[in-house]
Order: sequence, then structure tokens, then C-alpha cells
Amino acid sequence: MRGIAKSMARTFAVFLRKPVTRDYPSYHKPIPERDRAFPLLLWDEGIDEPFCTGCHACERACPVECMTVLMKDNPNHKSLDGTSSRRKIIDKFWIDYARCMRCNICVEVCNFDAIAMNNTWEGHETSVYDRQDLVMDLQQLLSQSRTGNINEWVPVLGQTNETVSEADAEDSEVSN
Amino acid sequence: MSVELFGTSFNPWADAAIRLQLVVGFMTVVVMGLIYAERKILARFHQRVGPQKTGPRGLLQSVADAVKLVGKEDLRPAAADPWTFELAPYFVFIPIFLGFVIVPWVQDWNVRLLELGILYFVAISSISIVGWVMAGWGSDNRYAIIGALRAAAQGISYELPLVLALLSAAMIAGSLQLDKIVEFQSTVPLIVWQPLGFFIFFVAALAELNRTPFDIPVGESEIVGGPFVEYSGIRWSMFFLAEYAGMLIMAFVGSSVFLGGYSWPFGEDFGLPLQILLAAGKGGLFIFLIFWVRASVPRLRIDQLMGYSWKILLPFSFLQILINGFVLVYGLPHIVLLITGVLSLGLLFWVTEGIVQRPLEPRRRRARPTIVQEAEVS
Repeated sequence: MRGIAKSMARTFAVFLRKPVTRDYPSYHKPIPERDRAFPLLLWDEGIDEPFCTGCHACERACPVECMTVLMKDNPNHKSLDGTSSRRKIIDKFWIDYARCMRCNICVEVCNFDAIAMNNTWEGHETSVYDRQDLVMDLQQLLSQSRTGNINEWVPVLGQTNETVSEADAEDSEVSN
Repeated sequence: MSVELFGTSFNPWADAAIRLQLVVGFMTVVVMGLIYAERKILARFHQRVGPQKTGPRGLLQSVADAVKLVGKEDLRPAAADPWTFELAPYFVFIPIFLGFVIVPWVQDWNVRLLELGILYFVAISSISIVGWVMAGWGSDNRYAIIGALRAAAQGISYELPLVLALLSAAMIAGSLQLDKIVEFQSTVPLIVWQPLGFFIFFVAALAELNRTPFDIPVGESEIVGGPFVEYSGIRWSMFFLAEYAGMLIMAFVGSSVFLGGYSWPFGEDFGLPLQILLAAGKGGLFIFLIFWVRASVPRLRIDQLMGYSWKILLPFSFLQILINGFVLVYGLPHIVLLITGVLSLGLLFWVTEGIVQRPLEPRRRRARPTIVQEAEVS
């Protein structure tokens, strides 16, 4: 009897608490800055072209061989009266998101900081009806960075993420 | 011969039909509300939100469920006994539905207040056990028959404490008619004079309704839903409707017998709105208590369950009747009832504690190497 009384008191205390439910599809929890979704390519705003030179470093390093890279001569190079100092530039780039295991090795080997792990919800919500649709081409890989729809991607080691913690404090409201 | 209803007089048959239609409509709506309320309240006990997508705040969830259940195919296993299988839901549902006849919702709002109301109630409500056994037997399914036999064993053994607790309350009130009992409580509710009786009634009601912690007949984690394993669609929903309707009726009978129904604490001269509020509040409190117990207490084992009924609840309900008899025969003041009731309730808790903590089997000795004295051996 004492046990039952105790358990009933405990459940009633829980009853008075606020629900912890987050209504996911209509509410997105802010995700941490160092969250690692799938890799994407970054856009050089200054010169208006991708950072990537198509050097194959990531392709060779990829343990699951999910990448395919093709390089070309940069038509915008200085020698051709352009503005860029990149002699070579990426021509075609595919990443098979179905195959990628999000190991971050491509980011680590990249000499130009041209590839990054997506740390937004767009990187997580990639459901498709056909597996082929998960093979992303160059346009798809660049578009998120090109529109500026991506968070700062290199966190300083040991630094807390203020934007996320502020947002976490705000998000306690549960939409019902 | 004619009967008054809404200020106009009717033929008794038409009158009865109208009243029953009203009760059917009321019951269906309230049961849907109860299902929604249970899901919401239980969700809060789990720190969840509960249904929220169907309609504003999930209010239409029960409607969606009802539409789904009606639309589902009504299956019958090939090896099932057709008549028993098809008729079982009615045998479960009709007795519970007939129980609504004697419930005094509010003053002068009822179907028929029988003179032997409580007797009628306990007689009619135990018939639904037949329906459970029919469902289990007719389904040709082992889980179903196990569930049905459990339901029969549990229903019959908890019927006795339930009846005796109700009778002990009726002894004090001096009537078996429910509105007379409610009238009697216009100053002090019977729970004050019969705390032990109320406790026994509540526990036995939980068992009668097959609610947690006495839900072994339907325990979905062990016998996958018990007697209605094989039912689907509208027949299954009739079992469900019967369960929640039974909860509603038990809550209202309990609140009119022990909590003073619509009468306490304002008496009967107060207006209808206040009486409705009181009756609904007390019934709701009772139902909330049932949900609360469901969220707190795990399921009992069958031997614990039967033992609790026969070894504890039944003797204590006899004790309550004995005390009531003494008080009534010797004309002792009612305060004696309160004191003895609280004392015997304490005794009940103490005995339960002892039973729970006593090990089931004789204590085993831990195997220990015995130290043999070398000198003595030699």
C-alpha cells in the first residue's frame, strides 16, 4: 500500500509538469552548429564561383566512394582576362547521399575548405521516393551555400554556441 | 395511464423509448469524450501532449476513430462458433446499458428510479461476464479463452466485495433506491461514514471494469487483448463502448452512493445548473481517479488478484457490514462509524502490506559451505 501511495504521488507530480513533446514536423528544434549531416560544396562570394578546384582529394579519401569529381580549366582565370586566381575549377560533382556515411574525412582532406558538412535541417530532411534522387549534382550541392542558407561551419574548438543555446531557451514553448 | 416527461404526458412505452434514446445519445457522446479524455490525461501523466492533429487540440480524434472502426471489415474466424461469436458483444453491452436505468443523474433526471435500485444494478452488471466468456469461447482462440476464463474468475470474485460495499452504504442510508441514498447525503456524504466501504467499492469497481491494475483478462502484453482478440470493426468497438460506458456508470453510481451525488454539499433545493455541475464534477473526479491509478500501478498476477479479493476485501466488507449492524441495532452515534471505518481501513492497509511483503514460497537458505571441524571429524 505504501508503494502504491508513493507511486501515485509520483505520477501526480509528473502530471503537473509541462509536456516535453516537440511537435517535430511543424516545429524544428535548433540543431547544434557542429551537427553533421551530408557534405555540400561552398560558394566563394568574393569571386562568384565555387571554392572547389576539382583536385580529387576528397574523392580519393572517401572510404565509401560516394563521390565523383570532374575538373576543367577555369574560364574565369586571370590569364583569360578573368577575376579568379583558380587555374582549374570544378566541372561536374556528384555525391551519392545514399552511400555517404557522414565521416567528415572529405572535409578534413580538402585543401581549399571547399566542402563542408551541412549543419542545417535541409541536410537531414532528404527523403525521396527514388533512391536515384539521392545522387546530388553540382547545382544541388552548391545551391544552399550560394543562397547563403547555411550556418557558419567551422566552430572554434571549445567555444560554446551562443545562437543555439539562446534558441534552446526560447523553444520550450510547445505548440499544441 | 400516462407518464410525465418534459411537462407533457406520454404513453409509458413511448416515454421509456424517449428516455432510452436520450441515454443512448448521451452515453455515446460521453464515451467518445471519455476516450479523448483518457488519452489526453494519460499523455499528461507521461509528460506527453496526446492527440493533437485531428481537429482543434485533437478534439475530433474519437470521431475519427469511430469512423475508422465502423468502416473496418467485420471479420469472423472460419473455426469460430458463429452464433456465440456474433452475439457476444451484445451480451457484454446490453447489461451495462441496462444499468443506466437506475442512475440518478440529477434530481428528477433519470430513466426509472427502481425501489431496489442497487440490487438491480449489481444483478444486471454481472451478466456481462457471460458475454466475455461467450466471446472467448466462440473465438476459437487460446488467448481468447484464457482471457475469458480470467475475466470470469475475476468478475465473479470481485462482484462480492462490490455488492457488500454497496449494501453497507445502503444499510446506513436505509434504502436501496439510489435517489433516496443521495437525499440521505445532503449534509454529510457517505464516504465519511463508510471510508472502508468506499475503498472496497473503488478497488472492486476497478476490477469489475477490467481496468489497470486488474486488467489481466485483457492484458494486451500477455494475451494480446483477451476475449476480443478475434473481433474487429464495429463488434470490437462495441466491447470498447461497453468498457467505457461501464466506467461512466460505475463512476456515477459510486459518486451517488458514496460522494453525495448531486446533493452534497448544497442540498437539493439548489438550482439545476449547480446540480449538474456537482454530479458531473464528482463523476469526473471518480473517472480521473481511475485514470490516475492506471498511470501509476502495474498489473497484478492472477494469484495476487484472487487472493486480494477473497482474503482481504471480502472479510473486510463483512467487517464493515458487522460494524454497521452494531451501530444500527444499538443506535450508536454515527461518529462511531467514522472512527471504526478509519481504523479498519488502516487495518486493511496494514494487512495488505504484510501480504505483499510476505514471500510467496518458504524462504530458501542460501547455500553456504559448512565449516567442518577437523578435530571432531577425526
